[in-house]
Amino acid sequence: MQQEMASEVSTVIVPRSFRLLEELERGEKGIGDGTVSYGMDDADDVYMQSWTGTIIGPSHTVHEGRIYQLKLFCCHEYPEKPPSVKFQSRINMSCVNQETGVVEPSLFPMLSDWQRDYTMEDILTQLKKEMTSPQNRKLTQPPEGNDEGRVDPKGLVLRCCIL
Amino acid sequence: MLVSNMELGSDGDVTMNVNNNGDDGGGVDGFLARNIGKGSQRFFSQPVYVSEFTVRTERKSSSFPKFPKHFDSPILRMGGGSGDDVVTEGIESSKAEGGDAVTVNVRCSNGTKFSVQVSLESSVESFKSVLQQSCEIPAEQQRLIYKGRILKDDQTLKSYGLEAEHTVHLVRGFVSATSTPAGAPPITTRANTTPPVAGEAGSVEGGGIGLGASPFPGLGLGGLGGNGGMFGGGLPELEQMQQQLTQNPNMMREIMDLPLVQNLLNNPDVMHNMMMNNPQMREIIDRNPELGHMLNDPAILRQTMEAARNPELMREMMRNTDRAMSNIESSPEGFNMLRRMYENVQEPFLNATTMGGGGGGDTTNDLNSNPFAALLGAQGGQTRGQVANPTSTTTTGGDTTGSPAPNTNPLPNPWAAGGGGNQTNPGGIGRSPPPVGGLGGLGVPGLEGLFGGGGGGGITPDPNSMSQLMQNPAVSQMMQSLLSNPQYMNQILGMNPQMRSMLESNPQLRELMQNPDFIRQLTSPETMQQMMTLQQSLFSGRQPPTRETGQTGVATAGGPDNMGLDMLMNMFGGLGTGGFTMPNNSHVPPEELYATQLAQLQEMGFFDTRENLQALTATAGNVHAAVERLLGNLG
Repeated sequence: MQQEMASEVSTVIVPRSFRLLEELERGEKGIGDGTVSYGMDDADDVYMQSWTGTIIGPSHTVHEGRIYQLKLFCCHEYPEKPPSVKFQSRINMSCVNQETGVVEPSLFPMLSDWQRDYTMEDILTQLKKEMTSPQNRKLTQPPEGNDEGRVDPKGLVLRCCIL
Repeated sequence: MLVSNMELGSDGDVTMNVNNNGDDGGGVDGFLARNIGKGSQRFFSQPVYVSEFTVRTERKSSSFPKFPKHFDSPILRMGGGSGDDVVTEGIESSKAEGGDAVTVNVRCSNGTKFSVQVSLESSVESFKSVLQQSCEIPAEQQRLIYKGRILKDDQTLKSYGLEAEHTVHLVRGFVSATSTPAGAPPITTRANTTPPVAGEAGSVEGGGIGLGASPFPGLGLGGLGGNGGMFGGGLPELEQMQQQLTQNPNMMREIMDLPLVQNLLNNPDVMHNMMMNNPQMREIIDRNPELGHMLNDPAILRQTMEAARNPELMREMMRNTDRAMSNIESSPEGFNMLRRMYENVQEPFLNATTMGGGGGGDTTNDLNSNPFAALLGAQGGQTRGQVANPTSTTTTGGDTTGSPAPNTNPLPNPWAAGGGGNQTNPGGIGRSPPPVGGLGGLGVPGLEGLFGGGGGGGITPDPNSMSQLMQNPAVSQMMQSLLSNPQYMNQILGMNPQMRSMLESNPQLRELMQNPDFIRQLTSPETMQQMMTLQQSLFSGRQPPTRETGQTGVATAGGPDNMGLDMLMNMFGGLGTGGFTMPNNSHVPPEELYATQLAQLQEMGFFDTRENLQALTATAGNVHAAVERLLGNLG
C-alpha cells in the first residue's frame, strides 16, 4: 500500500512525511526532555523541509541563559540521510563553523554516522550535550545575537503571506 | 482529538483539557484548516484509506500518537465514509464550548510544567504577563520558545500557529547580559514620562529603551529583556519610521533634541551595545577595526546625529564628501582605492543600514528592519544620499541600485535595494497631500504591502506582471471595493501589527487612513500607476522576469472578486508559494505541470480531473489553495 502510493506520487515519499509529522507533533507538544524546541518554518510546506530548532543553553556552562536558534533542513531523503544543521545564533563551538554557523558533519559524529531512527530532536539534544563537553563548556562566546542576515527567503515568503 | 489527548494524558506529561479548549471550536477548526494544508496533503487522507491507516497506526501506536487527528479534515467530512466516525466526537466536544481561552502548556527550563488559559488572539506580551502570575519570572525577563522560535512581544500567539494543548518553553533571559546597558533603567523611565510622544511610545512598546527610539514605536527596541534578541520585538516598524524621519527633518530634529536621545547618544556604552548587537554592524566592525573606533567615538556619533538632524549640515557634508571623492579620484590609484574602500566598507555598511524587507518592501514591509538605518542617519544617509544625489560619484550610484554587487558581507540581503528606499521617498511625498508629508510614504504600506509582499515573496519581482496585475480591471475593482469599505481597511490595518502600532502612536494617521477621500486619492489609478513605476524602477536590474506568477495571480483574482481580504491574501500567498515551487513553465500543459499536485488531489478524494486542473491552474499549483477553492465551489 505504501509502496504503491509512493510510486504513484514520486516526489512525496510517505514514510518520510509520517516520520516528519511525528516529529512535528513532538515539537509542538513539547514531548521529550523539554530542553529543546523545534517546529516547522512554514506550515504549508508540503515537503516539510525547513525547520527551526532552539537549544536552551545548558546550565553551569558558558551557554547558560542563552537561547540558540538553528535551522534544520530535511532533504527528500531525510530519514535516510541526515538533515543539514546550521546555527543561526552566534556560537563558538568545536563542531560549528564559525563563519556560517553550519554544524560540520565531520566534527559532529551524529551527522556523519547518521542512522535512520535519529531524529531532529536527537540532534538538538546531542548538540546541547556537546555544549557541556569539557572542550565546549568554557569556550568564550560571542555576544549574543541572532544573525538575521541568515534568515532564508522562505521565511520572508511566509511572513509576506501572513501580512 | 480525543485519542490524542488520551495518549498524551497517559504520558503523564501534558495536562489534559479537551473540554476547556473552547475557542468556539476555533482551536479545532484552526487545526482542521491547517490540516487541509498539512495532514491531508501529506497523508492523502482519502476516506478509503482511513481504516487501513488507523490499523497500521495501532500496530505501532506509540510512534503515531496523533494520527487520527489528521483525518479530521473537512475534506474527509465532505468525503463521508468511514472518516466521519473518527472525526465527529472531537468536533462536538470542542464545539460545545464558547469563549476564547484555550489551554497552553508551559514548560520551564528547570523542568517544571504548568498550564494556563489564554486566548490565542492575545499578544505574546500579554501572554507573558499571564505567565508572570504562574511563575516567578517577571514578564520582561521571560523568553518564550515555541516550535524552535522565540516569540516576539508584538505578535499574537496565533501568528506562531500556537494551538490548544501545545507546549511553549519558558526561559528566563538574562536582561543584563547584552541588551540592557547600565544606564537603561533610568532611560526607560524617561521614555515613559517624556511627554508627549515618548510617553506614547512607552505605552506602545511596553517601555523600551531604544535608541531614540522611544518617541516612535519603531525605534523603540521594545521589550528589551523579555524577548529573544533585543532586535527581536520592537523593530518591525523601524524601516517605516526611518522613512518618515528622513522625509521629515523637523521630526528628526525633534527627536534628536529629546533629552532622552541626547542622553543615549552621550552614553558610549549604550551605543556600543547597540552596535554590537547588530550582526551586520558587528561584521563590518570586525572587518574594519578603524571603523569600529569611529563608531565607538561618541563625538563622531554626535556629529553624525547632528548632521542627520540638520539638513543643511547634511548637504554640506555630502558636498564635502563629494569634493573629497573627486579629488581622490583624480589622483593616481585613487579611484581604485576608492573602489576598494567602497567594497570593504560602504557596501556592507549600506547593507547593514538599509536592510529592508522584500522587494517592494523598502517602504513597506520591513521584515529585517534595522535600527541603524535611522541611527546612523548621516553615514547611511550619506551613502543613500549619494544614490539619490545626481552629482554623486558613478561608483556608488551605479552599484547600489541594481543587482547585488560583489560583497564581502556574509549572506547579504538580496533585496536590500540600497537606493530603493530613498528613491521611493520623493514619490511618497509627491503623492500625498502636503499636511501629511512623510506620512504618505507610510500610508501606503497597508495597501502596498500586499503588493510588496507578493512581489518580494514571489522571489521573481516582475514589474511587468505586477503592472499587468494592477491594470487588470478585476483586480482594481477588487481593490476599490476593498478599500472603499472602511471595515476592510480597518481589518487590514488591524491585522498588521506594525500598522497597528503605528496607528496607535499616530492618531492623525489613523484618521487619515479612515478618510475615504485620502484613500481614494491613494488608490486612484494615477497614484497606483505612479507607485508601479516606482516599483518598476526598483525592480529593474534584478532578475530576468518570470511572467507566470503575475498571470496566475490575475487568474485567481479574476474569479469571484468580492471575497475580499482572504481572497487577496490567498492570491498573494499563492503568488509567493507558486513562485517557489513552480519555475518557468508557461508552455507546459497543466496536466504535466501539476502532475504531482493532481495526484495529491486525487489521493485526497477529488476525482474530477478537469476541475482539479482548473483549481490548480488558478492557484499556481498550490494544493492547499486548490483544495480550498474546490471546497469553496462545492460548498
